[in-house]
Amino acid sequence: MRETWVVGAASNRFGKMKETSREAATRVSMQAIRQAGLEPKDIGYTFVANCFGMSEHQGHVGPLINNGLGIPDVPSCTIESACSSSSAALHEAFVHVAGGFADAALVVGVEKLSHLDTLTATSYFAVATDFPFEAKNGATFPGLYATIATAYRHAFPTTQEMFGAVAIKNHANAVRNPHAHFQKELSMETYLASPMVASPLRLYDCCPFSDGAAAVVVAAKEFVKSPVTEPLVVRASARAGSVTDIQDRKDMLGLPATRIAAEKAFRQAHLERKDINFLEVHDCFTIAEVLAIEDLGFFPKGTAGRAALEGTTARDGQLPVNSSGGLKAKGHPVAATGASQVVEVFEQVNGLAQGREVPHTDVALTHNVGATGGSCSVHIFSRR
Amino acid sequence: MSDILADAPHSVDDFIKAYEGDGKLRGFRCAGCGLITATWGIACSRCGRSPLDETELSQKGTVVAFTLLAVPGEEFLNDAPYPYIVVDLDGGGRITGWIPSIHSEKEIAIGDRVHFVSGYKPGVQFAKDSPPAGSG
Repeated sequence: MRETWVVGAASNRFGKMKETSREAATRVSMQAIRQAGLEPKDIGYTFVANCFGMSEHQGHVGPLINNGLGIPDVPSCTIESACSSSSAALHEAFVHVAGGFADAALVVGVEKLSHLDTLTATSYFAVATDFPFEAKNGATFPGLYATIATAYRHAFPTTQEMFGAVAIKNHANAVRNPHAHFQKELSMETYLASPMVASPLRLYDCCPFSDGAAAVVVAAKEFVKSPVTEPLVVRASARAGSVTDIQDRKDMLGLPATRIAAEKAFRQAHLERKDINFLEVHDCFTIAEVLAIEDLGFFPKGTAGRAALEGTTARDGQLPVNSSGGLKAKGHPVAATGASQVVEVFEQVNGLAQGREVPHTDVALTHNVGATGGSCSVHIFSRR
Repeated sequence: MSDILADAPHSVDDFIKAYEGDGKLRGFRCAGCGLITATWGIACSRCGRSPLDETELSQKGTVVAFTLLAVPGEEFLNDAPYPYIVVDLDGGGRITGWIPSIHSEKEIAIGDRVHFVSGYKPGVQFAKDSPPAGSG
C-alpha cells in the first residue's frame, strides 16, 4: 500500500444553503483542490457522498460536479451510507490511492434539506431506519437513540446533566468555528428547560437538520512531492457494520460497529488509545457521544457520562472531543458530516482553527456512524 | 442450488399483513444458534446459518427499554406523545412497537408487562397488562 495523505480539506458554513447541492459541492471541491496546491486535472477519481439528492430532482451528480470543475473525463460515483456517507467515500478514495488505482482522489459530501418542510425532511430521514420494522412501528431517529439512552440510564448511573454537559461543551466549541450551524453558547438552564423530543432526549440533545458541503483531497505521498499544506497521513481507514435493528442486538448499550471499526483501525495504525490527541465523534444526539467514546475504547462502559461534566473532553481537557462543535452544534448535513470531521482535523493541524485550538495535534481520530450503527467508519490521522 | 424463495418462507409484506390481519407476530428461529428474530431475513443475523425456520412469536412480553416520543414521524402525528418500546417476548425474541393507549412517562417503566394488540394502525402495537387483582 502507498502512503496516503489528506492534502486539502474545505467546508462551507453549515446551516441553510441558498445554492443547490451541486453548486455547493463543486465550490468546496475547488477550494479543497486549490488549498492542496493541485489542479482539478490532478484528480483521478471523484467520490460524492449524498443521501437525499432526489429531493432536489437531481441524481447522478458526480459527473455534474466534475463538469463544473472542468474534468468531465474523470470517473465518479455517489456513495450512500446514511450519516456515514462521506467517511465511506473517504474510505473508497483511500483504497484507490493507497492501492495505486489513482494518484489523487476527491471526496465531497453534500446535503440539502432546507427546501423541505420539517415533516417532509423527517420523512426523508426515516427511510434510513429499517423502515417496515422500525419507522412503521413508531420509531424516529431521536426515538431510537432515546430508547438506547433509557436502557443506558437503567444500566448505569447517568444524570440528565451529564447529557447536558455534552451539548454545552459542543456548543461552546462551535462558537469558535466559522463553519458551524449554531454559533451560540448554551447554558444548563436553557438545556434543562428545552422541550422533550423523545425522553430522555430534549431539543438540545439533538443535532439540527443542516445543509452543508465538505470536501477532502487525498493523494499518494509520492504524487505530492512538495505539499503546500501540512498533510494528514492516513494511518487507518476502517469500516464496519452491525446488526441494523435494535431488536436483534445482543447489547443495546453501545454500537457494535464502532467497536469493530475501532479495533480494525488501531490494528492498522499500530497505535494505542493513549497515542490519540483529539477526537471528532458522531454525536447526532448527546447519548451518541457518550456511547462513541466508550465503544472506541477511551472510557470503560458506563463511565463516559461524566467525561463532559468533569471537563475531560473539553477543548483544553485530557482528551478533547468534538472541538468543531460536533454534529450537535456544528450541524449535521447528513452526507457531508464525515468529510467535515476531517476538515476539523486538517484545520487543527494546519493552524486554521483559531480560537478553538486543541493542545496537541499529532494524532487524531474521526468516527462517523450510519443510522443507529448499521455502518461505521473510523479514521486515524497523524502528522508526517 | 437451493431456491432462494424457498429459503424465505415469508416476505416483509407477510410480516406487516400478519400484524394487521390475523393479529400474529411472525418471526424466524435459527436452528444453529437459537436466535429468534422478529426481523425478516433469509439467513441468521447472528451466525449466518440459512435457511431459518418460520415461527410464531409470543404475544406477551416485558419492556426492556422505552422512550416517550413527543415528536413523531408523519404517520403518527395524531398519536404523540406515545411510548416506543423494546419488548423481550416470552419464549424468546425481541421486538419493537408502540403503545397507543399511554401518553405519559409516568405510566411506563422498564419491567412492565405488555401484550400485543392489533388493528389500530399498521405495525406493532402493545397494551400494558392489567395489574393482577389485589395488587393495589
